[in-house]
Amino acid sequence: MDPNAQPAAPTTKKILIIEDERFIGELYERALTNAGYQITVITDGPEGLKAAQTNQYDIILLDLMIPNLTGIEILRILRDKEQTPELKSKVIIATNLEQREDVRADIERQADGYIVKADLTPKELVEVLSHIK
Amino acid sequence: MDNFKRLSSDTKAGLFIAFSINNALLIAGWWLSSQVLHLSSVAVLGVVAGIALLSIFVLTNVMAPWLLAPVKALWQSILHLSPYEHGFTAPDVSKLGLGRELVTSLTNQVYQLATLAEKGGVAEAKVPNNLHSNFIANNLPLPLFVLDDTETIQFANQAAADYIGIHSEDLTSKNVYMVLDMAFPSEHTFDKWLKDVKLHNATAGSSWERVRLNVRDNHPTRLFDLAAYYNRANPNKWETMLVLFDHTSQYSQDDQAVSFIALSVHELRTPLTLLRGYIEAFEEELGDKLTPQMSDFMQKMSATAQQLTAFVNNILNVARVDGDQLQLQLHEEDWPTIIKSAVEAIALRAKVRGINLEYTVAPNLPTVGADRLSIHEVINNLVDNAIKYSGSSKTIKIDCHLTQEGLVETTVQDFGVGIPSSVMPNLFSKFYRDHRNRAQIGGTGLGLYLSKAIIAAHGGNIWVRSKEGEGSTFGFTLVPYTKLAEELKNSDNNEIVRNAHGWIKNHSLYRR
Repeated sequence: MDPNAQPAAPTTKKILIIEDERFIGELYERALTNAGYQITVITDGPEGLKAAQTNQYDIILLDLMIPNLTGIEILRILRDKEQTPELKSKVIIATNLEQREDVRADIERQADGYIVKADLTPKELVEVLSHIK
Repeated sequence: MDNFKRLSSDTKAGLFIAFSINNALLIAGWWLSSQVLHLSSVAVLGVVAGIALLSIFVLTNVMAPWLLAPVKALWQSILHLSPYEHGFTAPDVSKLGLGRELVTSLTNQVYQLATLAEKGGVAEAKVPNNLHSNFIANNLPLPLFVLDDTETIQFANQAAADYIGIHSEDLTSKNVYMVLDMAFPSEHTFDKWLKDVKLHNATAGSSWERVRLNVRDNHPTRLFDLAAYYNRANPNKWETMLVLFDHTSQYSQDDQAVSFIALSVHELRTPLTLLRGYIEAFEEELGDKLTPQMSDFMQKMSATAQQLTAFVNNILNVARVDGDQLQLQLHEEDWPTIIKSAVEAIALRAKVRGINLEYTVAPNLPTVGADRLSIHEVINNLVDNAIKYSGSSKTIKIDCHLTQEGLVETTVQDFGVGIPSSVMPNLFSKFYRDHRNRAQIGGTGLGLYLSKAIIAAHGGNIWVRSKEGEGSTFGFTLVPYTKLAEELKNSDNNEIVRNAHGWIKNHSLYRR
């Protein structure tokens, strides 16, 4: 790997990836670590939620189809002031699932971003995430 | 008209004869008095003047009734029918000398109109003038709306009130578009039809399938067929009638088909994500260790995976178009930025086939209203097509400029096999491909169909120009954002523009 290919000043941002497909987790972890992020990958819904609620991540990449708790449920709990205090993390939905337009609009309203995983290579994902302030 | 021409020529002939008789009499009087009787010039003048007066008097009295006979016959027929005049008999047109054909036809029309008016009068008298007390209208199990000439609801039956969940008293005297927020699957919308028939027709009827009713307050969306009847200047002000036929359950089942496709798409996308991810990781890890040939193979693999991803998105979107579920969010976008990223995204696919993408962008293009993802797909499809049909030519030109109408136009030009004129009309239909090339070039024929739908939803146009053997140019136009925002603001649907800074949520140009 050519070290010059990555930005000179590595970001210290922390990213939580809640994703049950281990290969995708592996690819994202590799690309984002190379870009200087600190990565945590969690494959289970409730565990992912618990980690997200610690509020120590800058970005949360949230899949929608995850075991035991769906991404939509996690998002709802994260946005519920009773259950989660003000979240500093940006929540980006990363999914390959297509939903009805109204459902999608509803998710988009609650999230800070929405990406279709198949439309981006891991490198392109890094590029997209670099725009998150 | 022929009858009128005949009347006109008969009148001319009559007047010609009358004037000729008059002149002949004058000449005869002069000749008799001066040449035969050798009268003095004063006497001759007296004789001629006398004949002139006499003949004019006689001829006027003969000609006037003859000329006025047609008018008299018509007048008589109208008075004969008038309820306020008595003692008039029907005219006997058979004895008419002048304009018999025209008058016969006109009087027949008068009698026909009178019959119609009479029937109407009877019908009116029998039907109570109040729909609210009309048993049938009120108990019709289909939602019924009656509108006046200002599209204000005059009457809505109980079924209509139940259907949209508003009290029927609250419906009356509201503008229909305030109550019925309808989205149509094509450009043939109810409001366009109504505007058109109001200009051109006295009565008209039409129907629409798969109309979507956007209901407020999180009520489930309704899908129905719509029938409308228009009757200009209806005496009861019932100018337009709307009947709704609910097919929500049936059409929702069609939506399930979309869900099946959505599920399949998900199952296809996950392996694709991995495939593309690992190809990329492989390229990165091996980097300069790859031989040029291996590197070329990797690029081809990568391009192929990209193509498959694009195709999967195409399938999904075609299903959405067919299920009337394609909804676009038009944002203010800088077109050169979009075209640049779209061209970059597809450059690899062109490159592995040895094709060079050249693109030029005119300076100072206005921002456009565009749904970024969908418009990417349009460019993708057009360039993909250009690659497929490039044959041995190695250049594809993409050009963006402003048209004379002030629209942002983008053209994609290839110099390949071209399209035979016989297949041009069907090019934008689903599953259509150039028959001659079917054996040589793969593809589903979904791309252009989808592109057309996407561009239409943007309020633009898509077109093609092609010559066999010389290549094809596909072009599409987009509306500048300012224009679009203005149009949407002016429409009375204030829900489309949600955010002052150009978020147009759930935008559908096919509303109403």
